Amino acid sequence: MVINNRIHFIATLFLILGVILNLLPMPAILHSCKPPILLLILIYWSLAFPNHINLSYAFLLGIIMDILLIMPLGYNALCYTVTIYLILLYYPQIRLQSNWNKMLSLLVILIPYFFMSTIVNGMLKIEYNIINVIISIIISVLIWPRLFNVLRFVRQKYIS
Amino acid sequence: MKNDIHLHFRQNQFTTLKLLFYLTLSIIFLVLDNNYAISNKVRFNTSYIIEPIYTISAWPSSIYNNISKHFDSKKDLIKKNELLEKKIIIQSGIIQKIPSLQKENKRLKELLNSSTTTNSLKILIAELIKVNLSPFSNKLIINKGKENNLYLGQVAIDNLGLLGQVSEINKDFSVITLISDPGHALLAVNARTNKRIVVSGIGDNRKLKAIYIPLNEDVKQGDILITSGLDNIFPEGYLIGQITKVEKNLNQNFQDVDIVPSSSLSSNREVMLLW
Repeated sequence: MVINNRIHFIATLFLILGVILNLLPMPAILHSCKPPILLLILIYWSLAFPNHINLSYAFLLGIIMDILLIMPLGYNALCYTVTIYLILLYYPQIRLQSNWNKMLSLLVILIPYFFMSTIVNGMLKIEYNIINVIISIIISVLIWPRLFNVLRFVRQKYIS
Repeated sequence: MKNDIHLHFRQNQFTTLKLLFYLTLSIIFLVLDNNYAISNKVRFNTSYIIEPIYTISAWPSSIYNNISKHFDSKKDLIKKNELLEKKIIIQSGIIQKIPSLQKENKRLKELLNSSTTTNSLKILIAELIKVNLSPFSNKLIINKGKENNLYLGQVAIDNLGLLGQVSEINKDFSVITLISDPGHALLAVNARTNKRIVVSGIGDNRKLKAIYIPLNEDVKQGDILITSGLDNIFPEGYLIGQITKVEKNLNQNFQDVDIVPSSSLSSNREVMLLW
């Protein structure tokens, strides 16, 4: 029970950090193609503890991000929920992969995410640049192994 | 081991149910928000939580600014001060002529029997809260809210030109929709020909588009566009931008006209709100 509480506590702490990282001001060039850093952190924690960090977390965080980012309510909630659902389906396979393979599988998981957001963009008539989206995917795939190692270090140190 | 597999299977079933539940919930939210703008109300009621989060996320940039201010050498500061003083002298020299020009303008308009627009000038300087919003939206957050008597549709400018309008007011912060937002359009006037032009944003902070310009209309590269005052939101005479590209394609119904906004839409720090 104690360990359960600790998992929720540490994960929530890092997710709050992720929210702030997502809001951090960036140079104008990076602004339009920033990686979804909160989603990456969420993906890590749901890979590590799929029984604790589940769809409810994804949905709630999505709603919080919608409110903070001044986007249509439910936009990020929809995209996050779908992504975390994919993680929950395939986490046994992804966990066993090497770093390179993990990058590849992250790519496979992020593509539905962006596909989802494109569909919602189309329905709500939000305009966007497809090149920025592709660059954003590439950046998130590139930073994924580093983020993974950092978060794994945290997990091994504080939750075990 | 057997039990484990069983549990895994059960959990999976639950997750699918949960997924369906959350998907429907978020789609309901999307529809409700699209029709009734509930996210505005949510943001208004929770603004005492949201504002600190914005402030925390804006810390790094404000700390950086403070540090760089701290390390400005005295020499640089004196130089800057001199430059600013010179600028003020020149600008106040230009301003001297404004009352007489206004009078003349009024007299001429009375001669022409056209309605005179008296624009009262009250300006409030608001500071930007620098947070990184979604790349799909062209919005700014400023640190003035309901207590400063802002109203919806209020005009925001910077020192170079028109920025946008206030689209949402909360207790401690408000949201400005820039003129580069894809959902935003305004009625401009070509300063050279006095023809009206609809200027619409395309989501790019360095470019606007003029839409529905017939092929025989007189527009040239370098024309300056100002607000017309006909849309009842933007007062007359504020600078919008300059036409940089005119392309006529005889296969299309309209000309393809690009405009560069004169205000720095992506990199300003102070915003002026007009009354």
